[in-house]
Amino acid sequence: MTDIHTPGVELRARKGSGGFPLSLLRASSAGRNIGVVLGIIATLFFFVLPIVKLVLLSVQGEQGLSLNYYVELLQQERFWRTMKHTFVIVAGSTLLSVVLGVTAAWLMAYTDLSHKKLLHLLMLLCFVLPSYVLTLSWSSFMGPQGWIAAVLQWFHPGARPWSMYSVGGIIFVMGIHHFPLVYLFTVNVLKKIPKDLEWAANTGGAGRWKTFFRITMPLALPGVTAGGLLVFLASLDNFGIPAFLGTPVNISVLSTLIYEEIIGFGPSAFGRGASLSVILGLIAVAGTLLQWLSVRKSKQAEALRVDEEPRYMLGKHRFWVNPLLWGGLIFITIIPLFAMISLSLKKSYGGKGLSNLTLHNYRYILLDNPSTWKSIQNSLLLSITTLVVCLIIGTLFAYFRVRRPSKMNRLAELAISVPYTLPGIVFALSMILVWMEPIPGWNPGIYGTTTILFIAYVCRFLILQIRAGVTAFAQVDASMEEAARISGAGAWRRWRKILLPMLLPGLLSGALLVFLTALTELTVSALLYSSGSQTIGVAIFGFEQAGNTLYSTALSSLIVFLIFAGAGLLGLLQKFTLRKGVQS
Amino acid sequence: MTIQLKKVSKTFGSFQALKSIDLSIADGEFVAILGPSGCGKTTLLRMLAGFEQPTSGEIAIGGSVVATSRSSLPPEKRRIGMVFQNFALWPHMNIYEHVRFPIRTHKETPRAIREREAERINEVLRLVGLAELAKRMPHELSGGQKQRVAIARAIAPEPTLLLMDEPLSSLDAMLRMDMRREIQSVHRETGSAIVYVTHDQGEALSMADRIVVMKDGQIEQVGTPQEIYLRPETEFVARFVSKANLIQGSWSDNRFTPLGADPSTFWPGDAVADCFKSQGLYPVRPDQFQLEPASAGGLYGEIVNVQFQGKEFNYDIRAAGQHWEVISPATFKLHDQVSLHIPSVAGEASSVTPATMSQTPSSAVVPETPLTATKTASSASSPAVLQTAQPATSPAAPATTSAASPAAPAITTTSVAPAVVPAGASNGVSNDTSGEPSGIVMPQTTSGW
Repeated sequence: MTDIHTPGVELRARKGSGGFPLSLLRASSAGRNIGVVLGIIATLFFFVLPIVKLVLLSVQGEQGLSLNYYVELLQQERFWRTMKHTFVIVAGSTLLSVVLGVTAAWLMAYTDLSHKKLLHLLMLLCFVLPSYVLTLSWSSFMGPQGWIAAVLQWFHPGARPWSMYSVGGIIFVMGIHHFPLVYLFTVNVLKKIPKDLEWAANTGGAGRWKTFFRITMPLALPGVTAGGLLVFLASLDNFGIPAFLGTPVNISVLSTLIYEEIIGFGPSAFGRGASLSVILGLIAVAGTLLQWLSVRKSKQAEALRVDEEPRYMLGKHRFWVNPLLWGGLIFITIIPLFAMISLSLKKSYGGKGLSNLTLHNYRYILLDNPSTWKSIQNSLLLSITTLVVCLIIGTLFAYFRVRRPSKMNRLAELAISVPYTLPGIVFALSMILVWMEPIPGWNPGIYGTTTILFIAYVCRFLILQIRAGVTAFAQVDASMEEAARISGAGAWRRWRKILLPMLLPGLLSGALLVFLTALTELTVSALLYSSGSQTIGVAIFGFEQAGNTLYSTALSSLIVFLIFAGAGLLGLLQKFTLRKGVQS
Repeated sequence: MTIQLKKVSKTFGSFQALKSIDLSIADGEFVAILGPSGCGKTTLLRMLAGFEQPTSGEIAIGGSVVATSRSSLPPEKRRIGMVFQNFALWPHMNIYEHVRFPIRTHKETPRAIREREAERINEVLRLVGLAELAKRMPHELSGGQKQRVAIARAIAPEPTLLLMDEPLSSLDAMLRMDMRREIQSVHRETGSAIVYVTHDQGEALSMADRIVVMKDGQIEQVGTPQEIYLRPETEFVARFVSKANLIQGSWSDNRFTPLGADPSTFWPGDAVADCFKSQGLYPVRPDQFQLEPASAGGLYGEIVNVQFQGKEFNYDIRAAGQHWEVISPATFKLHDQVSLHIPSVAGEASSVTPATMSQTPSSAVVPETPLTATKTASSASSPAVLQTAQPATSPAAPATTSAASPAAPAITTTSVAPAVVPAGASNGVSNDTSGEPSGIVMPQTTSGW
């Protein structure tokens, strides 16, 4: 009996500290405790400390605590104007998203539309594209040189399309950017409402409309609410759309106001930025709590089966519903995208005709302008390293979270989700505050380098990988692993031969999401970059601010190409998985 | 290689899952651990496997201690095989690879097996009847085939101990009967000790050499299937294993007079455990009663519910203010007055017991006959159960409803599940096994059918 082993020692070793093989080594109980302590310290340092610093700064006066910044804010006319714009924009775009999303979800869940798979992908496209790419395509589409303007010229010379640079324009782009969130939430809820309930209402004498309002709607409401609140949060968080469309015409929302405060520097820039951030953060946290509650409420239907059968036949209505849906979706995404691409191929902004076509803009951003090329390199490097680090840490953490759930790792998950829950701009500011001087008197020189972007990306996107990992692990019963142990497989072999082959598809799709999000990130990078560490998003933002629309559209078109390549890769991956029969 | 548990207990937080368990398992023995869910049987099994560590006490396998409260040999270092409730097949490996995995991976695999790997794999696959399907993936298999793969994987490296965690509970009723035979033949062929965890008393009674009945983390009774079934020592075992009615009455000198019967009625008490005598109870299995027309004297009761089961009837009888369940081939109608007897005298009881004893389930061939009989009987009877609560006067009636609707089994379950089934025993169990114990003791029931 020389072999002393506590079951789960290697399982309990903490994620942050030991790397993958290290943590699998058999550890003494003292070693395990050190691991746990290191993990707690890392979690507090990376995920909790930034928020604490932010809040502290916002209440710091010249002598001790004070609410000066807040008092000052509340007296500013600009603050109230921003609050009003924020409210109108967030409420308007949420409403638009909910209406579009619920309509789409109902059609997709209950009617006998054809080509549902393709429609589904087309709807997701709006959300997969980074918000600033969608914004650029709409501003190219609707701009004075755009296609709409050209069409209007035909009817009435001098007629101008509606300007995207307005509150309405921001609401519209945000609404179409976020409606897939509502759609995704609602479509599953609708499919899970048992048909029998509707039939029971029918036999009870309720007609089609009465059934919908008395049975279907109340049952779907928690899901719709959860989707709506998610859109509310996303709109609050969004920086790209108001920065591209609002800032040039002096419309600010909270996220762009914080950005302007910090960029504007000045003596108390950080203090005022921090207090604004606390306000924005509090609204976001309240929204998150409400969202969490409504998700929990809609989870009651979780055990129910997803029913894919159509319940309403479109019949003769098919002839207008089908084209309307397809036309609408193509109109809001594909056509503006092509408008943007066509703009990026122009020699000069005003020029017309074939002679004005050129690849010059692409040559400029890729070859002639070293800083753009640098930004592409930075973004690729950052997103790949973020992917690798998140994949390893996130997978291990998800493993403990699923297999050894405890209060400790539940709290850790909560902490890790904070950077993603908070609006990006708020998180970015808190990163600056921490990394300028992590421990009083020590400046590691990370602020202003690519490293701070890397740390920020990992902290913000780690939760995405963890969620993908938790979903993947939850689908693999613990007995699979136990069967391997009984068969004599040690930890290394269990991961290599059993767990990874089964989990890889789920883990990789999470990793791909992290990669794409990091590649096109704008909000956090906009505050944290410095010369030499700019990213693709920042480069596009820079071109746009300097009025170089041709270059910004060209770079955006490149991004779109990259995203499609990534999506294609994911599709191939899924096909591969299906063939191996892992799903069953 | 014997397995010994000494004063093993286990707590999870404040919950005590096992309370000082002492048990030893002989080489090659088939032991069933039987109990309702939450009784600690799975914890016990996982402790033998090495997935859980005892809070106190120790476990020894083949003389060497493998687990104490301070240390525990991990599962991958014990020479055991295990069959899981949900099969636990790896979706990315085919059958051949499943069986090969432990042979290659396990450090304790005997050299002889490792050297003739391919031969061994084929041998094991032949044993479970899957030699033709070696290249199939798990999702291309039926439930029964999946379980065969799981068994093949578990026995491939010739473990000294085979653990089975409710291996039949994810299979449907018909398949379970076939798989029992399969497991018995695996036991015969491999000769390794088997610890089999189940909540289904039918499975335990039909396959095991010895049954350990557990409740609330403690062992209630250990014995051969016959001992457990015919001579329960605690109230729980009587209710859970033999589904016995506990009749109230008074004891004098090994003779029992049930409450409400005329004082000259005596039931023989030699086989009844002291635990019942001290409480003034007498355990009677549903099949033990003999029903006669009310004129026959003894204890009187009224039939309050009738279910025709094909081979016999399930009666609910109200007597002396209590409800009892009786299985009898004799035909009565709803609200008939009947007289209840225990077919007399200790003499007969003791002559019956050895006779049944000789048909030890572990001898494996004999029980097949009653089992098959039960199987056909119960499948034939399920439509008939739709007649619940009607006086089953016309045996022809079931035929009209025999377009066995999917709802039929459900009805069977709910209506059969008798008050005697203790909480925790699955209803599905009482459904497909209700007829079976009577199959084992059939010689005892007299004529008439």
